[in-house]
Amino acid sequence: MTVWKPEREAAIDLLRDLSLSFGPTGCEGEVARKIMERIQPLCDSLCYDRMGNVLALCRFGEGENDRRKVMISAHMDEVGIMITEICDDGLCRFDTVGGIHRSVLEGRTVTVGDEIHRLQGVIASKAIHHKTKKERNQLTPWDQLYLDIGVSNREEAETLVSVGDLGTFDSDFYLFGKDDSMVKGKALDDRMGCAAMILVMAELRKHPLSKNLDLYFCFTVREELGLSGAKVAAAKIRPDLAIVLETTAVGDLAEVTPGKQVANVGQGGVLSVMDRSTVYDQAFLHFALQTAKEDGIPCQLKRYVSGGNDAGSIHKTGEGVRCLALSAPTRYLHSPSCVTSVEDYLSIAALVRAMLSRMSGDTP
Amino acid sequence: MNLYTTLQKLSVLPSVSGREDGIRALLSELIAPYADEVRVDNLGNLIAKKRGTGEGKTVMLCAHMDEIGFLVNFIEDSGLLRVAPIGGINFAASAFSEVVSESGIAGVLVPDGKTKPADYGANCFAIDIGVKSRKEAERKVKIGDFFVVRGGVRRLAGKRITGSPLDDRIGCAALLAVAENLWQEMLSADVYYVFSVQEEVGCRGAMTATFGIAPDYALCFDVTGTGDVPGADPMACALGKGAAVKIKDRSVICHPEVVTSLCTLAEKHKIPYQREVLLYGGTDTSSMQMTGSGSRAGALSIPCRYIHSRVETCDMGDAEACARLATEFVKALPEGK
Amino acid sequence: MNEELKRDIFELSGIMSVSGFESLATEKIRERYQTYFDEIQVDAVGNHLLRRSCGRTDAPSILVDAHFDEIGMMVTKICEGGFLRFTSVGGLSQSVLQGADVVIYGTRTLRGIITSTPPHLRGDSEDILPEAEELLIDVGYPEEELEKIAPVGTPIGFAPRYRELAGGALAGKSFDNKACGAIAAYAIAHTPRENLAGDVTLLLSAFEETSRIGGVAPGAFSANPDYAMVIDVNLARVPHTPKSETVPLRGGVSLAWSAATHRELTAMTKALCQEKEIPHVMVAAPSSTGTNSPTLNLVGSGIPVVDVGLPLRNMHTYYEVIAPEDADALCRLVQAFIESPALAERFGGRKEELPT
Repeated sequence: MTVWKPEREAAIDLLRDLSLSFGPTGCEGEVARKIMERIQPLCDSLCYDRMGNVLALCRFGEGENDRRKVMISAHMDEVGIMITEICDDGLCRFDTVGGIHRSVLEGRTVTVGDEIHRLQGVIASKAIHHKTKKERNQLTPWDQLYLDIGVSNREEAETLVSVGDLGTFDSDFYLFGKDDSMVKGKALDDRMGCAAMILVMAELRKHPLSKNLDLYFCFTVREELGLSGAKVAAAKIRPDLAIVLETTAVGDLAEVTPGKQVANVGQGGVLSVMDRSTVYDQAFLHFALQTAKEDGIPCQLKRYVSGGNDAGSIHKTGEGVRCLALSAPTRYLHSPSCVTSVEDYLSIAALVRAMLSRMSGDTP
Repeated sequence: MNLYTTLQKLSVLPSVSGREDGIRALLSELIAPYADEVRVDNLGNLIAKKRGTGEGKTVMLCAHMDEIGFLVNFIEDSGLLRVAPIGGINFAASAFSEVVSESGIAGVLVPDGKTKPADYGANCFAIDIGVKSRKEAERKVKIGDFFVVRGGVRRLAGKRITGSPLDDRIGCAALLAVAENLWQEMLSADVYYVFSVQEEVGCRGAMTATFGIAPDYALCFDVTGTGDVPGADPMACALGKGAAVKIKDRSVICHPEVVTSLCTLAEKHKIPYQREVLLYGGTDTSSMQMTGSGSRAGALSIPCRYIHSRVETCDMGDAEACARLATEFVKALPEGK
Repeated sequence: MNEELKRDIFELSGIMSVSGFESLATEKIRERYQTYFDEIQVDAVGNHLLRRSCGRTDAPSILVDAHFDEIGMMVTKICEGGFLRFTSVGGLSQSVLQGADVVIYGTRTLRGIITSTPPHLRGDSEDILPEAEELLIDVGYPEEELEKIAPVGTPIGFAPRYRELAGGALAGKSFDNKACGAIAAYAIAHTPRENLAGDVTLLLSAFEETSRIGGVAPGAFSANPDYAMVIDVNLARVPHTPKSETVPLRGGVSLAWSAATHRELTAMTKALCQEKEIPHVMVAAPSSTGTNSPTLNLVGSGIPVVDVGLPLRNMHTYYEVIAPEDADALCRLVQAFIESPALAERFGGRKEELPT
């Protein structure tokens, strides 16, 4: 039997569409609508809950007893900014939503607004000519960064934006490198996880599973706050198992000692043993490694304890949920230019599919 | 049951947060004679139940069975293992320790040469398991394996003992003693004995256990700091002065009714006790208090010097007092639902 | 602001409810409110749930949360000469401690004074404030008696003392957040039953000042509402504070845009303010509101929540200051919120919201 792998061109088109969508934490409606349009024909039933999560159920098998509930989850939101004050000169003050380091904000264009009205702006600070020698080699302090939407007084600005409006990076999506093996874009964290889930759903529609499984595909809100719509989704579903599809920050750059690289782009999805929010279930982890080995799907273990994801709230839900995290190794996370490998993206979808087809009563 | 012998058995099993299988098996054996049901939840909490008449309260007694440890992150060409801490590791206190993996591989935890104790941290520590190369190391250990400081306890003068991890095996031992004490009692209350997982990484196990049990009352057994050694934070708690009735730590303020009831019962039954306000630290108590619809939560602490070191030091008299006081607490619970 | 509400604010703020000891206030809460509410319940954590039913079946369930705990102190050690060593409970403002009048809520209620060093005995460079743990409280009782009256763990609060300032502004302790509790209770109690859009629970929640989670989590888990409003005091503008993080006193209530609250409910509540001409300002609290809202939002299956603030100066000090215009605005907003058919229509009628 050959191992299924998503078709490359379609997978990239899907990822491009999701990456370019507007979905800062707390304002995920556009991403949700695009996802619902795509998955409507791929699931048995669909729910857009009041928190903004998209929950889709795919039922397999005919048995009514010992059905297992598996939650597969990726978050729709991306890190962003929020306007906190409109100044007399029409410039806006802002703060971040989710963890953006200000070293990647200055000099970027952003999209600001809400679900309906949006416009472009530039993030900047005073010109180098006005900076002292000391200031020139220091990060611009928060209180000197501003958002310029191109108007020159408060009244005009107030007709276009409001305090509380959200923004995201305005950044191109493209492939690069040898054979276009690398992908660059904003919000790959975690639109890549969302895209991988959609690929798996499409494949399962074509080739259904024979096991008695209820698969809940959950596209969640607000992961970047560390509060997570996934908590609410898990509380409603009360799954037996959960797979969280994510991206993980790696530092596999030239001249970084191997012990500090975390994982390597191009070597497959990253399985976590532990991060700041979760110690992962041992049996589930072994099951994933075994499946990958048997099917020849590349994957790697995360070599550093850092970060956290929706598993942190899912595993503590109800009487506990056994969790697995599978992440795309991604460079420059939470910047306008996240970079990862196309092959890793495809192999993550393949590994999820392979695990689902092996799940039965006693595994994991 | 002899508290000290039990503690000796419990202390030598590696049981780092999230990998508590070994100790769970032993505890499950030890609690079984004193419980009507024993089960394990999805996170690995061991939950034993003594059934009441069905017309009383539900009370949950909890001690955590995990300990701090190390996760193998990376294997150097030389075969040295680089590690990440699991829980609040004090590297100065763990330096030059014998360590052991879940599967029994022995090693020593050492700082890189010339690192000053003030600069100790995860990035300058390694485990040496005595191999010559990465290849050789990989035959014994994988990335993702867990290590702990080798456990064990010894007696000091009088009732004092030292070793690791007393945090919180001494609480587990006390909890077993409570179960033994209560087994013959006819009680209206349902009593749950929970040996929780993952306390050291954020009191996680107690959350899911509490959600499943939904107790009216919850009592936690854990160690607490003391103010009776030079340089300690000023606090009234001391070794050998009895069970410490927790009132506050950084994560919780206990329910006034539970505090009052414990102090009153201690006086009535002449059990030595002291009142505890800890200026730092946290325990499963907070998780039990705030999960689900919440519970009336309190804690009995066993004073412990040098917490999270190899020479944690306690007084067995305090642990015995905790077990006696908890027993009286459960017996004195108000009747009715 | 009418006299009844003013009296309520003073009375409620004067009740001892240091974080962790809220359950000791039950009797006083019952005494004041039992004629106005159908049911008053205290839970295992120390939350007080005050319920008022609209009398219809299938009505939505609406929650109004205002935390009832206050910052305070706790005895950590009894020292010779009639002094108490103490620690802070919640984020006490270190700069107002020295010389403060306090009350020690032991088996008997004692008065005490936090110690200070007179200028005569101070050296140079004394700008650094001592930590609470380095100060003492002078209570004038012998050590042996203190062991009985105020043992380790006894709660301590600032002595309640209230003043009316120019323009009807009120000054006193613990308006954070019991002024909001009093205003919400007043608004709910004085709304005619037939006007209620649903069954209303006022959650006077415990542990906001000290717990990472807050009593609001178990409280809301039990109440299980369809939608909710969290009311807490908000920092009013004073010199040397950033404009984007403060609100003007006498500018009305504040509504927060935040990624941690419900955007649509916030927009609808803002529309309600506009419709009823309730003075309000919109503020941005990007990642967190610093109140019960983010927690409440994710309780159970998720609860849409709007975050509302009452401007207050001098937060966490002996004399917090609020303005009558803002109190009135809050009162009207709470009333509009629990009466609104639009909100009941949009967020009521709880469905399981799960694909089946």
